Amino acid sequence: MIRYLAYRVALTVPLLLGTALVIFLAGHYAPGDPVQVLLGDHYSPGAAARMRHELGLDRPLLVQFTTYVARAATFDFGVSYVNPARRVSDIVRQTLPTSMRLAALAVAVASAAGVLLGVWAALVPGSTLDRLIQVGVLAGLSVPSFVVAAILVLLFALRWRVLPVAGWGIPGDSVLPVTVLAAAPTAYITRISRASVRQVLAEDYVRTARSKGLHGRAILARHVLRNAALPIVTTVGMAFGYAITGAFVVEVVFNIPGMARVAVDAILQRDYTVIQTAVLVYTALFTVINLAVDLSYAALNPRVRY
Amino acid sequence: MPPSIPAFGTDLSIARPGVRMPRAPALLRAVRRDWPGAAAAGVLALLVALALGAPWLTGYTYDRQDLDHAFQGPGRAHWLGTDQYGRDLLTRLLYGARVSLTVGFSAVAAESIVGVAWGTVAGFYGGRLDAALMRVVDLLIAFPSLLLAVLVTGIFGPSLVTIVLALTMTAWPAMARTIRSEVVALRERDYIEAARALGARPGRMLVRHLVPNAVHLLAARATLDVSALILTEATLSFIGIGVQPPRPSWGLMISESFQFLQSHPYLVIVPATALCLTVVSFNVVGEALTERLDPRQRQRG
Repeated sequence: MIRYLAYRVALTVPLLLGTALVIFLAGHYAPGDPVQVLLGDHYSPGAAARMRHELGLDRPLLVQFTTYVARAATFDFGVSYVNPARRVSDIVRQTLPTSMRLAALAVAVASAAGVLLGVWAALVPGSTLDRLIQVGVLAGLSVPSFVVAAILVLLFALRWRVLPVAGWGIPGDSVLPVTVLAAAPTAYITRISRASVRQVLAEDYVRTARSKGLHGRAILARHVLRNAALPIVTTVGMAFGYAITGAFVVEVVFNIPGMARVAVDAILQRDYTVIQTAVLVYTALFTVINLAVDLSYAALNPRVRY
Repeated sequence: MPPSIPAFGTDLSIARPGVRMPRAPALLRAVRRDWPGAAAAGVLALLVALALGAPWLTGYTYDRQDLDHAFQGPGRAHWLGTDQYGRDLLTRLLYGARVSLTVGFSAVAAESIVGVAWGTVAGFYGGRLDAALMRVVDLLIAFPSLLLAVLVTGIFGPSLVTIVLALTMTAWPAMARTIRSEVVALRERDYIEAARALGARPGRMLVRHLVPNAVHLLAARATLDVSALILTEATLSFIGIGVQPPRPSWGLMISESFQFLQSHPYLVIVPATALCLTVVSFNVVGEALTERLDPRQRQRG
């Protein structure tokens, strides 16, 4: 287990280095001169040469890359091209927590609602309720998140006026964003928990428990849920993935100052230092999430040993 | 039970020689067997026809603004009305279909080529090469596709070529994995053994025997992928880093009209409906193809 953990952590290093290399080279060969952008109206060949020297852009590529990696390792990502007064690391520090908080809320909501609906549907297979939940799952999985957002805004914010449309920093501001982020993961977790619980319900040991006279709630808690948990827990990791990428839509729609919003703005403005950092941050984030998911397999299932 | 007495539940049309089911034409039989699949295929055929015929079907261009006639409801001059700039909504919808389908089909073609090549080589040669190739696939599959698409767009900047590249990046690893597992199973078959015994070189076995036999998986998978990729394109365009204005895309149309949701909700509803209908249709056809082409996937006996 410890060895596997060490192996997996060691694997993330080449992955992050590779990602850094790709974005570094892409930035180097991409059209557009950062010096020109930084100098703006003060551009002159002399000033450009001086700045190029200051930034180290006149040194060999390998030296530049090594410097870049060494600085990134200490969370120094340079300054924003578009707004040179802002350090990229500060931007990340200010916006990433917002995105993470929304994602965590969405995953919590989706896990609770998904497991509840899934188990409920599995206990009454074929009923009207089951069928309704199934239709909801299909809708949640196939309707794009920005359409979900449009429908919810139209109903709750514009028609019934019970929730704010796009104000950030006022009460109730995160209800609609979290709901949109949670929609697809909820559907997904519902589907998996329903399937998992139904499968366990058909097992011999459940029949044995029933035949020895154990009452329903005890069977559910002691036998069914514990054995059905494994596939469900692993979907929670996936739900995190949905919630974090869903932020690209939700933060744009609801005007939320989060990391995804920053990344989208940077892409539109070609703010390359910010783009580079966003790529690195998201790569690192997903490496950690995937690692956590894989480790949860081992922690929950005694049959899985690495 | 004596054979002369038909058992309970026996199909009488077979038991009585005089009455026989009329032979339906192939198309009709396909429709009867799977009407949702047939309906979805019909929707897609109509969509492709409308997208191809767009320049001849409307008298408007997708980018001509007419601010005097903005926000018009459906009427004789504009069948679906006009948007906030007075552009004909039907025209933009049709041209949006062209963009969605072009981007979706190009990306699926690119993704199939990369995925099939990668998967067959990994599955056929096995060993270390397989392990190395599949590690790359595992790595990419672990990333949610929208994130990958956003990151690729971030690196190369938004343009139509970037979108296709980004979509290809998100889809090929899953294709490679599907094809690889099929090739691993096929590799041990007798006809591959026979080809090897006859002295066929690996390259020839790959191209002549393995690819054609794994390709049936491709059709179903590719159809499902078109659906996912059109959705990703719409999402990228909605965020603003996909198709760039004034070129229409369903995702872009929804985002441009989002601020008029209260006063003119149909400007959002119309492209959103087109998008959902298209995505669901590709999904249904893909599922039907999976069931038809791959007997192991059949759920009902």
